[in-house]
Amino acid sequence: MYQYDDYDQAIVDERARQFKGQVERRMSGEITELEFKPLRLQNGLYMQLHAYMLRIAIPYGLLSAQQMRMQAHIARKYDRGYGHFTTRQNIQFNWPKLEDVPSILADLASVQMQAIQTSGNCIRNTTSDPFAGVAKDELEDPRPYCELIRQWSTFHPEFAYLPRKFKIAVTGTPGEDRAAVRFHDIGVRIIENAQGERGFEILAGGGLGRTPVIAKVVREFLPYEHLLSYLESILRVYNRYGRRDNKYKARIKILVNETGIEKFREQVEEEWELMKDGALKLTRTELARVAKYFVPPSYENISSSENSLAAATLSPNREFGRWVANNVRGHRQAGYSIVVLSLKHPKIPPGDVSDTQMDAIADLSERYGFGRIVVTHTQDLVLPDVKTSELPALFAELQKLDMATPNFERVTDIICCPGLDYCALANARSIPVAAEISKRFEDIDYLDDIGEVSVKISGCINACGHHHIGNIGILGIDKSGEEAYQLLLGGDSGNEASIGVILGPAMPEAKVVDAVESVLRCYLKLRESAEERFIDAYRRLGPSPFKEAVYANN
Amino acid sequence: MAQIPGTDMGKPRGTHHVVTASLTKTGTPIYFTSQGGWSFDLQQAGLFETPAERDQKVEAASRDEAEACDIYTISVSVENGVIDPLSAREEIRAKGPTVALRRPDAGFSQKGA
Repeated sequence: MYQYDDYDQAIVDERARQFKGQVERRMSGEITELEFKPLRLQNGLYMQLHAYMLRIAIPYGLLSAQQMRMQAHIARKYDRGYGHFTTRQNIQFNWPKLEDVPSILADLASVQMQAIQTSGNCIRNTTSDPFAGVAKDELEDPRPYCELIRQWSTFHPEFAYLPRKFKIAVTGTPGEDRAAVRFHDIGVRIIENAQGERGFEILAGGGLGRTPVIAKVVREFLPYEHLLSYLESILRVYNRYGRRDNKYKARIKILVNETGIEKFREQVEEEWELMKDGALKLTRTELARVAKYFVPPSYENISSSENSLAAATLSPNREFGRWVANNVRGHRQAGYSIVVLSLKHPKIPPGDVSDTQMDAIADLSERYGFGRIVVTHTQDLVLPDVKTSELPALFAELQKLDMATPNFERVTDIICCPGLDYCALANARSIPVAAEISKRFEDIDYLDDIGEVSVKISGCINACGHHHIGNIGILGIDKSGEEAYQLLLGGDSGNEASIGVILGPAMPEAKVVDAVESVLRCYLKLRESAEERFIDAYRRLGPSPFKEAVYANN
Repeated sequence: MAQIPGTDMGKPRGTHHVVTASLTKTGTPIYFTSQGGWSFDLQQAGLFETPAERDQKVEAASRDEAEACDIYTISVSVENGVIDPLSAREEIRAKGPTVALRRPDAGFSQKGA
């Protein structure tokens, strides 16, 4: 993985020192909260419902074992013994004291991490496919491009005060979108054109929040050397024309919609013509400088991986076989597998990991791989390089850690924002709803019968829990000071991107899980076969039978 | 009773109001007492009813800006001497998360510790 050079290290060390001085001045009363707020937000420090919250960037979700151990150390020393992995592949700590944050930033800097640009109206952490670099269906590893984007966007002087926050996602797998690129301000897809040349499809104007929009194609094919200049052109157009008078209309999706994609494209291309052969033009040398950090590790030569993975699913140990079938994916290197560690357990908020678990995961990543861990945008973790022959031993270790639930991409693999239990913006709690759903559908046989279905829960319209793109989405709202929930069906974050539609009137918390069960029973009754996924059945049937199932008795 | 604009983000009006803020050191919710100090305990909050009292309380609460930040007022009901926030948000803010923390936690009961 990428290693900081002296320039990177100097930036994060200096930033930690700067913030120490800013905190001291705030605590002494030398500067007011009004003056301090933009400074703390630029370092990822929010004020939440009960305490500060520190959001730490995990570039494209990739952590080393050493970096994971540092998260455990921070959880133990400065927080309450746990961290929370987010839907943007970052980690958040919910209870840091203000005076400790400069020390946390200094500790992070010692392992090449930071919290810069994890808040504010700037370019945020670039996200990517959690299987990047190891997926069998990948055209090209997107992480070198993500890293180039990180270096280009960090402290970019022109884009420090954009109209609104800005999120970029990159995928290197045209056939399957595991990075939800169509719901980002810019989505980058590595593709090949008809001539077999490698380049990018560039999308813009996607997003969730109060106005969910599927991104539109700005350029169908962009040669690789122009990636940064083209992104810069889009950002310049957005920075110039994006609205600043109304924060709810300030995201690029509104600009693209109001301008129209043709006109927006013209503006971008016009800007790009002026700069495309300038300093941002990527050379093979520059790409190689970054790509060398992402070369495949020293895999052993092992044969017949397919057979052994398939055999593992048929293991006489039924629990193990089911875990392999649901949580293990084929690896591009023969004899290796990609393992998803489920962070979804009925008694634990989705994405939460304790300090001891983090230390244990770091150890496992070294024993069963090359010391790398990846955070998924679905709030799970991935060990990307596990020898297939060692899956039984790893499974036994994960069972001890409560991380072997075989529920990846199943009903209980819920994306869930912190909701009103923690978040200052939320209208309703989301974690207890996730817990109730997890309890109700704990039966693994039933989970497997239902098959692939995504459930995503947000505690407010800001949609941090991605409710719009859940096959089943749940949105918490405020009805005269009381929590209530809307159900949405039909969302999909993948290549067949779609936005969920509200099924009917909002309901109290006590009825939400029953409603989800009614939807799933309806699906089981009406699906054409066990192979027809929930989302496919919904697309065929439309909302009516599900609406009938949920609201008939109410 | 007079309506107090800007309270509790448009939530239903209660019989009384209190001033709340976050402790600058930790972000912990705090409540302005009738003695002019801050308490972690909502039940120790000073109650008021009119816009004039609101302005006076907020002004007094704002004097030590280094200690308390994000000062605002919330609507509450008072029954048998018990102060109860009207909104779910403020109820959770006063009592803490409704879900178990990973480390069930001496820390939370010590609040500002």
